[in-house]
Amino acid sequence: MLPLLAELSADPATMTLLAGSGSGDGGGMFIPFLAGPAVFAAVYGGIYRYYRNTDKRHHFERETKVSVGNLDAGDRKVGENNRQQSRRMRGRNSTDHLQRVRRIEVD
Amino acid sequence: MSVPPQGPDGARPDQPAGPSRPGGPVPPVSGGQGPVQQPSAGQESGAHQPGEQQMRGDDAVAEAAEAARRDAANRIVDTSSGKDDGLNKCPKCGSSEIQYSLSSKSLVCAYCRHTWNEENAEQAFGLGSSIAELSGHTMASGTADVREDLTTVTLKCQGCGAEVVINVDQDLQARCHWCRQTLSINSQIPNGAIPDAVLPFQLTREEAIERIDAFTAKRRAFAHSRFKEEYVPDNVMGVYIPYLVVDGNLHTVLQGTGEVTTRQYTVTRGSGDNKRTETYYDADVYGVQRAFDLLVDDLTIESADRFNAKDNEQATNNILNAVQPYDTENAVAYNSNYLKNFTSERRDLNVQDVDDDVEERFLAIARAKALPTINRYDRGVRWEREGVAVRGTRWVAVYVPVWLYSYADSAAGDSLTHYIAVNGRTGTTMGSVPVSHPKIFAVACAAGTVAAVVGAIVGFSQFLF
Repeated sequence: MLPLLAELSADPATMTLLAGSGSGDGGGMFIPFLAGPAVFAAVYGGIYRYYRNTDKRHHFERETKVSVGNLDAGDRKVGENNRQQSRRMRGRNSTDHLQRVRRIEVD
Repeated sequence: MSVPPQGPDGARPDQPAGPSRPGGPVPPVSGGQGPVQQPSAGQESGAHQPGEQQMRGDDAVAEAAEAARRDAANRIVDTSSGKDDGLNKCPKCGSSEIQYSLSSKSLVCAYCRHTWNEENAEQAFGLGSSIAELSGHTMASGTADVREDLTTVTLKCQGCGAEVVINVDQDLQARCHWCRQTLSINSQIPNGAIPDAVLPFQLTREEAIERIDAFTAKRRAFAHSRFKEEYVPDNVMGVYIPYLVVDGNLHTVLQGTGEVTTRQYTVTRGSGDNKRTETYYDADVYGVQRAFDLLVDDLTIESADRFNAKDNEQATNNILNAVQPYDTENAVAYNSNYLKNFTSERRDLNVQDVDDDVEERFLAIARAKALPTINRYDRGVRWEREGVAVRGTRWVAVYVPVWLYSYADSAAGDSLTHYIAVNGRTGTTMGSVPVSHPKIFAVACAAGTVAAVVGAIVGFSQFLF
């Protein structure tokens, strides 16, 4: 159970879940009461990750020598998305380089 | 995805390779299993596997003709030494007593003390030519498909004529039992044990042990007690790990949606005690497309299945992955004496086994390179479609040096091998130390309790005041 707990607490999604669970209507008042579990998870996950380094990898996408040329940028406005409560757009993946999306044929 | 073309045995640049369709994402071949790559110079001619697809009908003939025309661009670069198996002599005195010296960073003859290094592989084999000019698929001969049935080779000693059988699964050198000379595998037998190039160790064993000691010294407090008792850094081993090194001449297209904030405003709701403000954002939505050429130089990928960085079930393979990068451009032509006194892992993955992964890495690189071009989208970009056209690739099999400390943790039932690895070139160190979960649990509980108490005080004070 303990390794599972470590993996869970090392997962950033857990922290998001913990933080998000108190953000409902009027839930903001309960945030201080979540400090205990949040600190527990952060300490557990932080120590585990420092020792096991399970998140370490070679960042080949940044460290490989690459030349870029003939950039063709095509941007066009397609609409508006108003009155959004989030500062960031939904589903943004521009920094998640390892997430693959639908493949298209390129000539 | 497709598989790379495997040219006929010993094909040279002016010879067409096997049936394939270049220009796809990564070197393609029809059917699931391409023709077997046979040994290059001096080895028997290659026979195609029975599984190779038969093309029938006029369309198939036309397609085959078209494929053959385009396949003229595919080529195998011969990286073999040209030497026969057997004696691997010192170029000065002819002795076969040669080994790699970490103090002089070169091969040293034990008799005449002559020191030398093999030629830089890129220069020796023309593998350093412009990536922009890569067309079709270029494979160094050391990347030939691995034959699992090739386990023993009989060497004939050129000194006394004796025949010595060597288990090439385990060793690439053996002593002649009659005249005591060292016999080596000098040709590129296709069992995955002979790469095109070797990146020799730069870091000494002592330097590696220092780094491993420093790494574990910082991680003792919560380390598993059994690990602390059994930790013996002197057990560190010098290991050559097989990588496939890929150059790519690519064109990539990314399509998605991006948003730019046009207005930010706050709205006040309710009144009295229920009064609260909410922030809203208006945004313009754009269809975003980026198309560009990429020249990828020396992308490395593990070519031994047991070191697959995505599989950490049996061993912490991500650790080996994390000590990269290696200066593979400095790799030298293969000479079996570089491997003497070190261990080496045999390559057991072929180019077609890793090409899906390589294509995904090409796309990941493209996405990373596109990032600076989308700065204006402050709300972010959601990439929805992506593709890459591979105009040319070049594949080289390289052994890279790692000082490796392994610890098999059997405490949890399923044995997990923890690695502490030191890059044998740069000294980059990374490792996995087994932890004592009860100790972490205790500390986390203590910290959580303090935080809970503080949180409760803050929380109740909000209710009360």
